[in-house]
Order: sequence, then structure tokens, then C-alpha cells
Amino acid sequence: MVLLQPDPFLNELTSMFERSTEKGSIWVTLKRSSMKCKATRNKMETSGQPIEYRCLVRATDGKKTISTSLSAKEYQKFQASYATVLKAHMNALKKRERKDRKKTVEPEKKQDSSKSNSSKKRALSTLKPSK
Amino acid sequence: MVYIESWDEFVDRSLQLFRADPQSSRYVMKYRHCDGKLVLKVTDNRECLKFKTDQAQDAKKMEKLNNIFFTLMVRGPDADISEASSKEQMEQQASKKGRGRRQ
Repeated sequence: MVLLQPDPFLNELTSMFERSTEKGSIWVTLKRSSMKCKATRNKMETSGQPIEYRCLVRATDGKKTISTSLSAKEYQKFQASYATVLKAHMNALKKRERKDRKKTVEPEKKQDSSKSNSSKKRALSTLKPSK
Repeated sequence: MVYIESWDEFVDRSLQLFRADPQSSRYVMKYRHCDGKLVLKVTDNRECLKFKTDQAQDAKKMEKLNNIFFTLMVRGPDADISEASSKEQMEQQASKKGRGRRQ
């Protein structure tokens, strides 16, 4: 289990996604953790010290595991970069079937009313230079 | 393993589960590019809630859920998780940068 800083973690996660396109899975786990063992936590509770919790993020491709821990200050930036990484790589999922059905219907309509569509396009093109 | 059909029900029950035991609850995501499948799991090691999908629209919903879980885990189970608050903070940061450039 390799504990990394948030940015190297994201880089390594990206490589994991790239390596697992043909076969394999990626698991990402989010857990709240104080990063301290139970004994230390109990001592801190009894002595009245506030325990600082962090978000532990782990990722694995079944063979290698990486992890990072986020504090209250760094988690928002990480969450934005993490969302970008996921969006970039999770593109094997199916898109909505209903829209596909509409698309198969729409071109038939477009062929019938192609003149009206071209007139609409001319209207739009006149609007653009005026802006 | 309980697979939940409705996304909203999955979100409600998983947030409930997390808030009841934030110390032992965890949120797991499994993605298989070769099969085009995404599975989400929230468990406290007693009860387990799962959601599986192959739809791209659910990936977008999952991103919002990711943000909610990040906020809850770092700030605590009682944190305010309105999505607007995170967007407002980003806008505030952008406006602060703007003021700096104008000066």
C-alpha cells in the first residue's frame, strides 16, 4: 500500500485507468479516517484532544494499491481534479437509448423539412455577426 | 448484497447509513472499462447497499455523490452538503483572484 500526496495519487490513478482499458477493474474507496490507530484515538478522546479527521482515498487495479489522505483544506481541489480524471476515462458507459431513438426519428423529419432547417440556419448565421 | 434500482433511493439510504456510523462506513466504486460497467457500494460492515449501471448519465450523478461524500468525510457527518455551497466557494475564490488583478 503506497501512501502518496494528492497530486501524484491522481497521476498514478490516471495511469491505472489507461492500463485497464482492455481488461481489468479499477476500485476507488473513500473512507473517513483520523489516520491514527485505535489506541492513540482512545487516548486522545480521554484526554479531551480534538481528533482531526481526514478523507482516505484508496485506488487499486487488483494488483497495485495506492492511497492518499485529504484534509479539509485540500479536498475541494482534489475533488475537482478527481472528477476530471473520471470524466476523461469513464467513457465506455452507454449513452441514453431514448435519445438514440429520437435521433433515428429526427433525421426522417429533417429530410422532409430540410428547407425549413436551412432557413433556420441562415437566420442563426445572420444573428452571429450582429453579436 | 442489496442492489438498489432507484438512484435516489440509493443516495438517501447510503447517506443515512454513513451518518449513522461515519467511523466504519465506506464508499467504494468499481469501474470496468472492458465491460462498460460501474458499481457503487456503501457499507458499514453490517449492512451493504449497492448500485450497478452501464449508463453514462449515472456517471454524472455519481460525480455529485462523490462530492457529497468528500464533504461529509472531511468535514464530518453533520456538515452542510448543499451543492450550492461548493459552487459559491469556487465563485468566491474566482472573485478574489479578480480583485487582485484589478489592483
